[in-house]
Amino acid sequence: MMAVASEDMTVGRGTWENSPRRLVPNTWVLTARVLRRWSRDPATVLESLIMPVALLVTVNIVLGKGISEVTGDSALYRSVPLIAMVGAMSGSMVGGMGLMRERTDGLLSRLWVLPVHRASDLLSRLAADAVRIVGTTVVIMCAAFVLGFRFRQGILASVAWLFIPTAFGLAFTVVVITLALYSAKTIAVEATEIIWGLLMFFSTGFVPLEQYPRWIQPVVEHQPVSYAVEAMRGLSLGGAVLEPLIGLLLWSTGIVLACAIPMAIGFRRASTRG
Amino acid sequence: MIDTSAARLAVRPPTSTARQWWVLTVRVITPTLRNGEVVTLVAASIMFTAGFYIPLKHIVGAFIEGTGSYAQYLMPLIALNGIAFAALSAAFRSATDSVQGINRRFKAMPIPSLIPLASRMSASMYRCSMALAVALICGHVIGFRFYGGVAHTVGFCLVALLIGAALSLLGDLIGVATENPEATVPLMLLPVMIFGQLSVGLQPAERFPEWIQSFVRDQPISQFVYTLRALAGDSTAATGEVTWSVIGPAMAWLAGLILIVIPLHRLVASRRR
Repeated sequence: MMAVASEDMTVGRGTWENSPRRLVPNTWVLTARVLRRWSRDPATVLESLIMPVALLVTVNIVLGKGISEVTGDSALYRSVPLIAMVGAMSGSMVGGMGLMRERTDGLLSRLWVLPVHRASDLLSRLAADAVRIVGTTVVIMCAAFVLGFRFRQGILASVAWLFIPTAFGLAFTVVVITLALYSAKTIAVEATEIIWGLLMFFSTGFVPLEQYPRWIQPVVEHQPVSYAVEAMRGLSLGGAVLEPLIGLLLWSTGIVLACAIPMAIGFRRASTRG
Repeated sequence: MIDTSAARLAVRPPTSTARQWWVLTVRVITPTLRNGEVVTLVAASIMFTAGFYIPLKHIVGAFIEGTGSYAQYLMPLIALNGIAFAALSAAFRSATDSVQGINRRFKAMPIPSLIPLASRMSASMYRCSMALAVALICGHVIGFRFYGGVAHTVGFCLVALLIGAALSLLGDLIGVATENPEATVPLMLLPVMIFGQLSVGLQPAERFPEWIQSFVRDQPISQFVYTLRALAGDSTAATGEVTWSVIGPAMAWLAGLILIVIPLHRLVASRRR
């Protein structure tokens, strides 16, 4: 005990609270905390692992036949990425709600007065979310294999496929956290649902681009979920990858840049004022 | 000693159940006017209308035979989704209340045990009516019309609100029982979407794979859709007459749901922690 304390003191003397040397271990501990909490909440597990699979099976039953008739190839190569994106987006609400609850419980202000890196709490929430999204995508992928989905572009493309939902999902989490920091609880949750609902309905993963009226096609084509669906389609079935991927990364980077400063200010405010 | 208790009795204001119900109802409704919940309700109804109608108009609409338009076909599902969303926000509210301990506080006060529930329900009905109104306006924009006369139109609205009441009761129960706002909304939204899509609301049962057709036809959302569709009527005779064989199953589902959920509410409300 003494040894630990004195060791801490020496680290504390050499490295100040916001030292980069503290960032990684602090973030690691807090990430493990968030993940442990989720894994012990049956509702969260049910929602992030079982529900997307149910939704995938449903979408496949409802629209699979019609879309396959129209496009010629299996609808799975669009619906699987779409559901992976929906899983990534709808689940980010769990993180946002957790943040709000812990603000009310006083955990944020507690962390603020402890010698932990200021950025580590926010970063740990994003890191935990990345783990959740990859986990959800793996589960969806396994369900898709059962339904007849196959990778045709080799192992490297398949691994890349697995991480595409994270690329946009993290940006979406940033938006949800920012919303959660600034608005009333109910609004943050419902606004999130409406945003991901719109992104889902108006994407090329729902029905092919030609099915939308001409005036809305440019919007559908260039929105992030469509980009993700097209990139993932290219990585599994074959087709353009680079162009949608660049579009997706531009969206994600833009969203993160736009939200970074408001999020940091909101987080400081939430941590310092009860 | 006697004096103080007499004084306490004297200052205690008279309470009536109706007044308690009204106070608690206003308590839930007032914030919705301030915090922008109305905006999200309107936005959700618009999202469901545009999100189903615009992408699916050609790809699914082409297979709908006999009805006047796809908008007419889709309207019941749009209304149901809007109302379900309103019911969800009610569930969220009750879960939040529960976490913050106000339900526990109510239990310690001289209020009949179902009054907090009744007030939350009337607030949900206010939300559901608003969702229905917005859904009907959206439907009108895409081409939905009532063909059934005044009685059937009123019937349409009443049945839709009754469905909203049943869903609110169910959502409220889940919210109070789990005390977990983080999970309540997504936990309910996905089943709503899954049941909604696996119903005759989007496309006729014949378009589904054979093994699931009987489920699609008989599940409650489809029965609600049949009822609402019959009450709305159509420019052609395709939707059929309003008969007990059409609306009976939907009514039975609703009655069954409400009869099961209310005793459970009583159980949860009397639970001690």
